[in-house]
Amino acid sequence: MTDRNSTAEPGLFDVELLLKQARAYLAFGEQIRQFAEQSLDASSQPTDWDATLRQHFDRFKAAVAQSTEDSNIDPDLARLWTLTLESWQQTASSLGVSAIAPRAGQSADGWQAYQQVHGEYLELLRQSAVAALDLMEQRLRERVASGETAGSLRELFNLWVDCNEETYGRMLRGVEYSELSGRLLNTLLDCCARGESTS
Amino acid sequence: MIGLTSERITEELQSFSAKLAQGGQTLRDLGEIETGISPREAVYQEDKLTLYRYQPRVAQPHPVPLLIVYALVNRPYMMDLQEDRSMIRGLLDAGLDVYLIDWGYPDAADRELSLTDYIHRYIDHCVDALRERCGQDAINLLGVCQGGTLSLCFSSLYPEKIRNLVTMVTPVDFHTPDNLLTHLIRHVNVDLLVDTLGNLPGQLLNFTFLSLSPFRLAGQKYVDLTDILDDAQALRNFLRMEKWIFDSPDQAGEAFRQFAKDFFQQNKLIKGEVNIGDQWVNLGNIVMPVLNVYAAQDHLVPPAASKALASRCGSRDYTEFSFQGGHIGIYVSSRAQREVPPTVAAWLLAR
Repeated sequence: MTDRNSTAEPGLFDVELLLKQARAYLAFGEQIRQFAEQSLDASSQPTDWDATLRQHFDRFKAAVAQSTEDSNIDPDLARLWTLTLESWQQTASSLGVSAIAPRAGQSADGWQAYQQVHGEYLELLRQSAVAALDLMEQRLRERVASGETAGSLRELFNLWVDCNEETYGRMLRGVEYSELSGRLLNTLLDCCARGESTS
Repeated sequence: MIGLTSERITEELQSFSAKLAQGGQTLRDLGEIETGISPREAVYQEDKLTLYRYQPRVAQPHPVPLLIVYALVNRPYMMDLQEDRSMIRGLLDAGLDVYLIDWGYPDAADRELSLTDYIHRYIDHCVDALRERCGQDAINLLGVCQGGTLSLCFSSLYPEKIRNLVTMVTPVDFHTPDNLLTHLIRHVNVDLLVDTLGNLPGQLLNFTFLSLSPFRLAGQKYVDLTDILDDAQALRNFLRMEKWIFDSPDQAGEAFRQFAKDFFQQNKLIKGEVNIGDQWVNLGNIVMPVLNVYAAQDHLVPPAASKALASRCGSRDYTEFSFQGGHIGIYVSSRAQREVPPTVAAWLLAR
């Protein structure tokens, strides 16, 4: 009766998780590469560098903010900050609720109510992502002021992760997030429940 | 001025892409990924539950068996993940006779299972099976996380059957200010959830845990993975953890309903207001020796949530052990292997 417990098939690992984040990292790297190129000319004048940094982060923030709506923007850039949303949508989809349109048997009212809350949720995440870029810009200024430089792109990526965790963590602990995430699940369930009752 | 040139960044990106491309082959060549390494045998089964006995690693194991009650969330092989990361192996090496309840995977047929079933039936039957098998009036119980909370309920209701109680990263006060899970479930309509879905899907739990720290857990972790794609052993270790993270059983609906409402939302455990099978759970009934192990950097069960047991339980022999690590590190870190099983075993063997 002795056994050796469970055995996982290597195929159980979802390689797509790795590839998606790798593409997002490459998109991040491209943003930083562009900044490095632009700041090369400005490197002799601190005020020019300051302006270049501000301009670049303004563009970065605009791109991030619009990345879920504007198809001209690299979709992998959006993935940098929509991880939570993507995971949520997969969960919703597994419960039979589509992000695109109500499925057969689901009431349009219930689905629209869910979509409205979903939009509020996206906006909250967007604000956190933009705040993270503000924080990263501030940290870079502090580094430059103290003579610190980045040793690698990965170091800057890790700084970006730290900044996002900080602003996201603040958002997560707030009353607004608690209320909104509860409402998001409740409207999703309402959508499922209506679908069941009308199907 | 950030110290990086465009050329340097391009080189780094090219190197990253090359590692990624080569890593695909390593992933394909890995073969089977084993989780759970210690030999064990099933000694009792009921419905989807299996009670396992781990093969002792000393000639004369301690006569009082140790029953591990794991959480209903995730799978218990986290306690025995691999050769050098196994709390169970550490307990066996210390001379204990170790048993573990594997709850299995609840399905639609289990939606009516309640906490009454889990405590008065499943845990009680396993405890009785061990008392009879080992010829002991009372056994040692080790509850992990939510399994610790269930163990507290059981020990309160059947104190005569438990000789010593060990709780690990166990929530007792669910309303400490830093409890993120309570914060997230506060506005959830639990009745609507269970009435609509029946069982709570494991995927929804996964989302909740990943959403606590998405940039690290769902982003940075995979970028860092490229650094070990050429190291088969490190990759195997990573994939074991990865399998555990996503191996989330559904939660039986009625049990989840009561746990979410009574424990998380209304914090009834510390108020003495939890009722299971028409019996009130009074933590004051827990008079046996108690060892309460918590993790100082636990983001899921904050230390204060665990330490609340000190002033609520009725034991005169109450000990705390603070592990310097987090909720997962307490099972799998190197420090945990050195500190936790020896501490638990020494405390038990002295009683």
